[in-house]
Amino acid sequence: MEEIFDYLPKTIADEMKRLPDNYWMKVEEIRMRIGRPLEIAVKGRPLFLSHVVTKEDGETFMSKISHHSFYTLEEELKRGYITIEGGHRVGLAGKVILENGQVKGLRHLSSFNIRIAREIIGISRPLIPFLFEKGWKHTMIIGAPQTGKTTLLRDIARVVSTGCDQLNIPPLKVGIVDERSEIAGCMFGIPQLSFGPRVDVLDACPKAEGMMMMIRSMSPDVLVVDEIGREEDRMAVLEAVNAGVKLVMTTHGDSLEEIQKRPLLADIVNRQLIERYVELTREKGPGTISVIRGEKGQRLSRQMRVEKG
Amino acid sequence: MKWIGAILILGSAVWFGFEQAKQLADRTKQLKMMIAALQSLEAEIMYGHTPLHEAARKIGHQFGFPVSQLFLTFAETILSTEISVDEAWKNSLHLIRNKAAFKRPEYEIIEQFGGSLGKHDLLTQQKHILLTLAHLQREEEEARENQKKYEKMYKSLSILVGLLLVLLLF
Repeated sequence: MEEIFDYLPKTIADEMKRLPDNYWMKVEEIRMRIGRPLEIAVKGRPLFLSHVVTKEDGETFMSKISHHSFYTLEEELKRGYITIEGGHRVGLAGKVILENGQVKGLRHLSSFNIRIAREIIGISRPLIPFLFEKGWKHTMIIGAPQTGKTTLLRDIARVVSTGCDQLNIPPLKVGIVDERSEIAGCMFGIPQLSFGPRVDVLDACPKAEGMMMMIRSMSPDVLVVDEIGREEDRMAVLEAVNAGVKLVMTTHGDSLEEIQKRPLLADIVNRQLIERYVELTREKGPGTISVIRGEKGQRLSRQMRVEKG
Repeated sequence: MKWIGAILILGSAVWFGFEQAKQLADRTKQLKMMIAALQSLEAEIMYGHTPLHEAARKIGHQFGFPVSQLFLTFAETILSTEISVDEAWKNSLHLIRNKAAFKRPEYEIIEQFGGSLGKHDLLTQQKHILLTLAHLQREEEEARENQKKYEKMYKSLSILVGLLLVLLLF
């Protein structure tokens, strides 16, 4: 958390430091909008602070994020977000500059959203016996936004690469295709969050291409990808599940029934290639697993909580 | 006694003249250096996408005084303190103000350049550098002409004036 304070303008950092400490553990987002009060999201609920964000605050913030070198952010501005130290992500909004009808970058930034990357080591522990049977299973994690999909995915990747002595799981090679720099939170290509020793990350790489690149070049045992949902992803998933690697992925949705209504995903599901489905809800806070299902959709477990606190 | 006085007068006149001539030569030399430094900065930014402090540090090590001092203090300031880039550049420039051979317009150009640093995207940043380069090149031309015109004159004139004074006082 402290690293975020280094990036915030002094006025805002001081304001936030006045908040009680236990709050900090639960902050999910810090939102700055120029001319409007500072907002922080705690457990899904907004909280407004009295400080009104000024234009100078925005400029100082950008200057700090870019290390005083705005020109180094060309690519990031095209994508609309920047990953900072600690794997946190800063989303940006402002005026979009076009070139030949394509987004070229952002100027006059007016909204900043700092999404705090949560790293909860050990949350996937209760799931592991379901996902590993003589070998890792093709797994799909299903959940609406902010249900803790990525946090869970990250922890699974960590378990795969470090192994688990108690369950007799050997450490295996993990390839992460991190299209939105969210899983590993890479800065200059180096993951900012803790993974095991056997992790390779393709940062900011389109999933479809990245999955094949990984298989060809890095020989992973398990491939980890985020947010399957486009046509080219479907092709790549179908390719990859039959390429001798195990796949762990996430997708947006509430349940298996729901995603079966999406044509792209239905195709994947109906082929019964995915061996485990993990459904997440927010019912009892982020990280509630409502059910784990097998390849035909049969229930393997009942509701459980993976996150403490 | 007379002879010692004469030598002192002649000596100081010559020293004064040569010092003036050196100023002229230094100005051209330092301007050339500054231009080369900005060209390196442009390359670092455009092709290397190097962050400002890193680029400034590299350039600081590549060149001699006063460019080295300007860039190294600048790199250090933006890394370690909270002040803005513009401010850091001004402060660093202020430190070499009395030591470098630049003239007022040159200081103005360099100071203004600091205001554009790190605030723009690649292309705009490049334009600012090119504009500053154009200004500095014009100054350098003028400096070179001045040097050609006056450097020799200062030297010979100082000897002659020294001799004249000595003769008058004898």
